[in-house]
Amino acid sequence: MIAPVVLTETAKKVWEAVRAGPKDVADVVQTTQLDQSLVMVAALEAQQQGFFDVKERVRLELDPVPDAAARLQQGLPERQALRLLIDAGGSLSVPDFTQRAQAQGLPVHEIFRWGSARGWVERTKGQPPMVRVTDAGRLAVDEPADDERALRLALEGTRFLDEQALQGVDPVAVEQLLGKRTDLAKLRKRTQRILSLTTQGLEALSRAKVKREQNALAPEDFQSGAWRDITLRPYDVTLPGKTVYPAKIHPLRKIMEQTRRAFLELGFEEVVSPMVESAFWNFDALFQPQDHPARDMQDTFYMLDPARIPLPPPEVVEPVRRTHEHGGDTGSTGWGYKWSEREAERVVLRTHTTAATIRALAAHPNPPYKAFCVGWTYRNETISFKHLPVFHQIEGIVIDEQASLATLLGTLTAFYQKMGFAKVRFKPAFYPYTEPSVDVMVYMESRGKWIEMGGSGIFRPEVSEPFGCKHPVLAWGLGLERLAMLRLGFSDIRQLYQGSLDAMEEVALCR
Amino acid sequence: MPIVNIDASWLNELLEKPYPPQQLIDALDQIGCDVEEVVELPRYRCPQCQALVEGSLGADTVKQCSLCGFTQMQPFEIVDTITAIRLDLLAARPDLFDIGGLVRALQGYLGEKKGLPSFTSTRSDIIVNVDPSVCQPNSYRPFLRCAVIELPSVDDRMLVALMKLQENLHWGVGRDRKLASIGIYDLDTIKGPITYKTLHPDDEPFVPLGVSEPMSGRKILSEHSKGIAYAHLLANHDRYPVLVDADGHVLSMPPIINSERTKIKIGSHRLFVDVTGISIAAVENTLHTLVSSLVELGATIRTVRIVQDEKELETPDLTPKQAIVDLSQAKQWLGLPLDAHTLMESLFRMRLDVEPIDESKTRFRVRYPAFRSDIRHTVDVFEDVAIGFGFQNIQAKLVPTMTVGSSRTEEQTSDLARTILLGLGYSEIMSLPMTTESDHYERFRMPVPNRYPRVGNPKLKALTVVRQHLMSGVMQALHDNRRRPMPQRLFEIDNVALLDDEAPTGCREERRVCFVEMGKDAGYATARSILDAMLREMGVEAAYSATQQPWFTAGRAARFQAGSFEGILGELHPEVILAFGLDHPVALVEVTLGSLRSWPIPHPRTTERSS
Repeated sequence: MIAPVVLTETAKKVWEAVRAGPKDVADVVQTTQLDQSLVMVAALEAQQQGFFDVKERVRLELDPVPDAAARLQQGLPERQALRLLIDAGGSLSVPDFTQRAQAQGLPVHEIFRWGSARGWVERTKGQPPMVRVTDAGRLAVDEPADDERALRLALEGTRFLDEQALQGVDPVAVEQLLGKRTDLAKLRKRTQRILSLTTQGLEALSRAKVKREQNALAPEDFQSGAWRDITLRPYDVTLPGKTVYPAKIHPLRKIMEQTRRAFLELGFEEVVSPMVESAFWNFDALFQPQDHPARDMQDTFYMLDPARIPLPPPEVVEPVRRTHEHGGDTGSTGWGYKWSEREAERVVLRTHTTAATIRALAAHPNPPYKAFCVGWTYRNETISFKHLPVFHQIEGIVIDEQASLATLLGTLTAFYQKMGFAKVRFKPAFYPYTEPSVDVMVYMESRGKWIEMGGSGIFRPEVSEPFGCKHPVLAWGLGLERLAMLRLGFSDIRQLYQGSLDAMEEVALCR
Repeated sequence: MPIVNIDASWLNELLEKPYPPQQLIDALDQIGCDVEEVVELPRYRCPQCQALVEGSLGADTVKQCSLCGFTQMQPFEIVDTITAIRLDLLAARPDLFDIGGLVRALQGYLGEKKGLPSFTSTRSDIIVNVDPSVCQPNSYRPFLRCAVIELPSVDDRMLVALMKLQENLHWGVGRDRKLASIGIYDLDTIKGPITYKTLHPDDEPFVPLGVSEPMSGRKILSEHSKGIAYAHLLANHDRYPVLVDADGHVLSMPPIINSERTKIKIGSHRLFVDVTGISIAAVENTLHTLVSSLVELGATIRTVRIVQDEKELETPDLTPKQAIVDLSQAKQWLGLPLDAHTLMESLFRMRLDVEPIDESKTRFRVRYPAFRSDIRHTVDVFEDVAIGFGFQNIQAKLVPTMTVGSSRTEEQTSDLARTILLGLGYSEIMSLPMTTESDHYERFRMPVPNRYPRVGNPKLKALTVVRQHLMSGVMQALHDNRRRPMPQRLFEIDNVALLDDEAPTGCREERRVCFVEMGKDAGYATARSILDAMLREMGVEAAYSATQQPWFTAGRAARFQAGSFEGILGELHPEVILAFGLDHPVALVEVTLGSLRSWPIPHPRTTERSS
């Protein structure tokens, strides 16, 4: 025994609608009062199963513009011109004709364009050039052309050219004449689908069972058990959903948080220091000579208010002063100049977060101690795609009996690997307060090159010893924005701080 | 950072081996140079002085001579094209500024030569008498060191290299001629003895480089291009320093310009070099670096006798300096598997001499060239050990000591606030912590206060205020997003800086969160419910009281204080909304995040401290 076909209520209605014979989808929609998309879903499903035959044909629909009826009534310009010329004896000089046509308010260029296209008028060269009615024009004067008849039919409701053809209008002529005359009517291609039952379908319909179909289940459907008889309409699961975005952490903040987590995982203590900082901690404590160009007004923001702040107690300041002047007890030659308290009292916006780590070192000079800081730093720069006057640094120190150049490279490798850069490389560099100094580079697979991420090294004894630290201190100052730009695929540093949420939404959280 | 172009084929000629460019670049990289790129660089000839002029990147033609300053409308004629290695200068290593210094370093690194280069010198018959007036406060440029250089002959490329080195030493050591400046002359145009003295600005005019008429010192400073550029260095002088020869011809007026008659040219083979300045360290370093580099290009050094304050001095003094290095200290500092042999070989490779000073080979005497002014501590020698050992040979490792990581409590509180606001559909923004009086006060209808954290010297005139509230940033973000569908909800979490005479640096910082809602239904009530939700989640119980602030609408603003938390919220005044180019109601909340009562659990002390 053949199992009965199970149809949804919708499908049943569609099947019934074509039981009597082939029908246009539009007619089915009208009969069933179903949404066209539902009709099509049912029809295509039935077609796949061999129950329906769906024939498509493309038809041309003529859609006159709103004032087409009035213009037709009045006579198209070329038709009016035809009368004008016949009244004038069949021909006129072009200037004369133009003058008369314009007097009647007729657009001359249209007359020539469409009149010539119809073969009603022709222009002859000569002195003066003439325009005259052709034989075809004379024949046409009282006979509506195909396109005029088509327009009238369309205005009366017979809009498809194939239907008009049944009433004697030549569709080819209509297409030729109206296809480009869009100020009068638009010709549109319409796909018409004719649905019919196959023999198999007709047979299946006779023994079809009906199943209820809904878009979603209502609470009553659950409670009553009706859900058993309800089919949820299947979806095309290949279609995308509606685009929505979550409220997001700022991408730079996210990378900052990953940076913090990386150092926390490596056993570092997080430290901070003030953004408004004394020159003492920002420069002098790092053995930066007081006449160093980096301390120049050109590079450093100096505060007008507060302009000066008292120095730390003498037990902190004195060893620093002595180290600057002659090396103090550090075994160094020092800078050999007279160190100025006044200069150290000046207030700057910190030019590096090393100010935070040197303060941490002064507070915890003994090993083991590992500290990091991610914070704002300030440089007296203008704004460009490469530079901002304010940006973040990733700073860190390691005070350890086994701290060394080799462990510096190991620590930084571990950090960058945690940040997603598998290959890390180092090269010698020369920075004023570390010895040796090291540049850190990471390999960007996507760009196929090594990119410099920042500077690092071992604090000079002139830096660490005045604070009572007798062990090697590993130190680094790395760029956060540079790292973030690589990860986020930005090429302009300003993109990181632009307010556009549209742009930020495009940055996936995984980047 | 200035850039220097090194002619790769000349480099190979001096290295006496055809190294492929990539091998040279790798070696330069591993001795610490910053190789920018390798380019094909055209060279031109100046029709005036016949000197070679290097093309510059991005410029198709050259119309001005870098040596004599001659300019013409027609582009100069191209002589040839060289393969140039472009290097960023290393400010700390002037001895690597030019091809001579780089050849010396590469010979060591590539194994061509090792140990200390020899800088022998013989006496010349040149004497320079220094007049005491150069030490007077009103004409102060007291330090002078000189040398005589003998060369087979100055050729095209050497002239270019010499001028470039002079320029770069002025930048890197001389602080743009302030601390030290160099004069180089054709010795055959000079009759000794030479006198270093001072002149009244209007006395003894001479023909400076690049012009044909004699000019007085005063005229040079006001009319000659170099004079105008460096006049500030003599601004406090009422007499100008000059070098004058036995016939009374002026050699130069340091640190401004040389005379035309003594200038060096192609074919010169005896050069007189002087360095004057106000820092003896910079003056000596400049001279030592310059002459040592020229030795690598085939020069012979001869000393000059300088007579000052009845004392005599033979310069340059290129006697190597010494440092004592302890093997175990070096091993500890660097963490490298060093023994006496590898330590010594590494330093030889860096062109230093080293010998053990004890039987057990644990301590070493290191001799380094006079120009290595960067060495002021044994750790500087350790750096040379590391570079000589090869950074690429270093086995990276971690310190084995256990430490416990710990984050800052304000970060934990911020993280909680962020989690709550993201959950409530607020998006995070970040903005720069520097702003303007107009954005920070005036647009919020606040008078600019008498005192606020204020920057004195910003390059961007706009950036004068360190922010004390977060409202400017979020309002700017609302402005940037005003075309997005309403309502809009966003927040920022960051520090603000507040003047506080009690704080050690005169400024106290607070961690704040600021959030806003913009839209037709945004108002006190919507903001309040979000704030309530945030505080509830944080376990903060707050009591509110009405407040009146110029940036809020009257009757629609409140403040609260709860332990270390405090905050303010309200509907922004329409004038504020309009001032940011907006036209929808905006409700704004700014909270100072305090410390949480029951969380986090206090973390264990990081580690036992060894003292």
